[in-house]
Amino acid sequence: MSAALGNAGLLIALVAASVGALATSVAIIGENRRALRQAPMYAAIIVAGSVLAVVAMQWALFSRDYSIDFVQRVGSSTTPALYNVAAMWSALEGSILLWVIVLALFTGGVALRFAKRRDDELVAWALVVMYVVMTFFALVSFGPASPFAPGATVPVGFDGPGPNPLLQNHILVLFHPPLLYLGYIGFTVPFAFAIAALITGRVGEGWLLETRRWALLSWGLLTIGILLGGWWSYEVLGWSGVWAWDPVENASLLPWLTGTAYIHSVLVQQRRGMLRVWNLSLLVATFALTVLGTFLTRSGVINSVHAFAAGEIDGYLLGFFGVVVVVSLGLIGWRGDALRAPGRIDSPVSREGAFLANNVVFALFAFIVLLGTVFPLLVEVFQDRQTVVGAPYFDRLSMPIGLILLFLMAVAPVLPWRTASAGTLRDRLFWPAWCGVASLAVAVMVGADGLAPLLAFLLGGFAGGAAGRQLVLATRRQGLRGLVGRANGGMLVHIGVILIAVALAASNSYTHSATLTIGRGERVEWSGHSFEFVGVSTEVTARADVVMADVLLDDTKVYAPAVTTYLQQGMTVPTPSVRTGWTSDVYLTIDGNDPPATDADEVVLRVFVKPMVLWLWIGGAVMAIGTVLSALPSRRSRRPTDPTSAPITSGQHV
Amino acid sequence: MSVPYRRKAWPSWAAMFVVAVALLAIGSTRDSGPLNPGDRIDAISRRVACPVCDGESVFESRNPASEAIRAEIRASVYDGVATDDEILSAIANSYGGKVLLVPSSSGFDALIWALPAAGLMIGLVGLWFAFKRWRAEAAALGVPTEGDYDLVEKAREQHRGTSDD
Repeated sequence: MSAALGNAGLLIALVAASVGALATSVAIIGENRRALRQAPMYAAIIVAGSVLAVVAMQWALFSRDYSIDFVQRVGSSTTPALYNVAAMWSALEGSILLWVIVLALFTGGVALRFAKRRDDELVAWALVVMYVVMTFFALVSFGPASPFAPGATVPVGFDGPGPNPLLQNHILVLFHPPLLYLGYIGFTVPFAFAIAALITGRVGEGWLLETRRWALLSWGLLTIGILLGGWWSYEVLGWSGVWAWDPVENASLLPWLTGTAYIHSVLVQQRRGMLRVWNLSLLVATFALTVLGTFLTRSGVINSVHAFAAGEIDGYLLGFFGVVVVVSLGLIGWRGDALRAPGRIDSPVSREGAFLANNVVFALFAFIVLLGTVFPLLVEVFQDRQTVVGAPYFDRLSMPIGLILLFLMAVAPVLPWRTASAGTLRDRLFWPAWCGVASLAVAVMVGADGLAPLLAFLLGGFAGGAAGRQLVLATRRQGLRGLVGRANGGMLVHIGVILIAVALAASNSYTHSATLTIGRGERVEWSGHSFEFVGVSTEVTARADVVMADVLLDDTKVYAPAVTTYLQQGMTVPTPSVRTGWTSDVYLTIDGNDPPATDADEVVLRVFVKPMVLWLWIGGAVMAIGTVLSALPSRRSRRPTDPTSAPITSGQHV
Repeated sequence: MSVPYRRKAWPSWAAMFVVAVALLAIGSTRDSGPLNPGDRIDAISRRVACPVCDGESVFESRNPASEAIRAEIRASVYDGVATDDEILSAIANSYGGKVLLVPSSSGFDALIWALPAAGLMIGLVGLWFAFKRWRAEAAALGVPTEGDYDLVEKAREQHRGTSDD
């Protein structure tokens, strides 16, 4: 029953998307206004079909419908209800179904948002592009990656293994993948409008304004999704890190990098009408990289702990990636003359000059991440040998890039459009620069060392000062309304990014670890903390056996790093116990391969003292708030005739 | 000139620069590396790939194969004889070069270092050409006339008081 309903839902979505793409295209070309007004109707059918398929899958997982192969692999009667929901995206077929429903909702959202402009060719072509993308993913989900494929006959009383244990021991698994997908797939909307603008020849700034909030929303969701992934890694994996430069992590970072470049460079086009080809290329790159990332993580061509098992969809995804790139570049080439920028950037020392530099750095960063991710493949193809490119490579190259970006974040907000004089820079950067020096002084006073992290603190303070200056000026003029709008909300996002950068610099540079063997009742001192092994406690459920080493930390509270043995899979998963603090975390784990017995006389404890980790999550929250504020309309909308930068009077010096 | 404006003059910037350089010098020269053997073991194990896992480093992995390599690293560190690079070479000799997470800078692997440098150069040269072309275009437009300045000033007066963003 679930399989039939699910397949019916996917078929409805597939047919509605393909017919919608075809019928809307014919209506546009034939200038059939009546048919054009039907275009959004297909979106409603797509949403209905996709919702039906997802409801059917959830019902199959909850009712343990083991006639379905996917449920046989990820369903289990012992899986708690919340993780049962998340089981849908714990394997390849369900993850594509998640893609389908999110894309359907975005398609429905576009149809709803532009319902009054059904006659507009730009909107109609954008819907066509959304329908084409939907057709592809519905086809993949209905065909080679069907989550409703029938399973082998199972004996009476059969119970599946449930999702991978790592995907059922922390609440964040419910939020991290869906938010990531919302971010990835949200970029389909600006991509669709970009393609529509190229087709219609309306390559001015109109389509940018239409999609500004969609791009910002997608970028914000992708940012939060990535950060929640880091948080999940920290809380679950037991190695105390948030980012490992794993290929799957890199696949999520790539569209984020190009998307970040886009939301900056788009400001230059909106204000100056420039960088049209560049902005279109960034959007195409962002969308194409989401497809490439999906291919890399679902084709089995790269090794990653995150990757899904190799499926049969690699050819489809690679083909779709090729079509996206060829068609997009073909359209950009076709409209080459219309895309020629009417203006010019007068000086590198200007707001637009800083955005251009920002874009070059982000493009280089994306290139490095892509190169490092696919390099093992290139080596295998050209040299027939295996190699691994890991975190040390990415750390080495991303460190100078991060410092350059912090510098640009410090300077860009104070730069006027068109050009800046030395006097203007001297005046506007004075207090931000002192903020940087103060931040450096505090770091040196508390014992920080090493040139790279110290530069990060200096530039972080400098950039924070520049963003703070902008917010102070804006709130002086407009009160709390000064926090709203693209420029000022963006400054709040910058502050969030700076907090994250500084926290990463501190936690990566100054983490200390030790392996402590502590006897029962013994108290050991290390790195300014005391650890007392109190005993071993256990917890037995139908799903898992948990062994916890109770450790009294600093004579205040007992923390219990654990090893959980998942009975269905026979897999042990160590779970850290973390004391979170404003200045540092104390992170405790025990060896998953050798958990202590209940009467153990001693425990081997792995301890990490990690500075400033809490500020990573605070920075993420600030970024989220800033993104929302920057999407809200500011009080004053600028007219095209407004001066690009107000003259400085002595009263404005800050 | 107001007092606040004088505070922001070049001598103040020079003083700030000196303070920043002094702080950086103090902080960076007291860099004493890893504080304890545990930190050194972590630093080395971050540079070695787990030989049987999917892309994890020995530092991250909890696989017994990684535990074995970590034990080797721990033993070498506590011996106190070999440097980090010597310990890594020994591991590469035992398990093969593919366990090293940093590609070498020779042969085909050198591309992974050379291509980003080439990308940076292309970006910088591209920017240089772009600004050169824009400067030439601006020069071709000629010098603004008094009338142009009057027009701009009139427009500014109409919209005085707007922000500096």
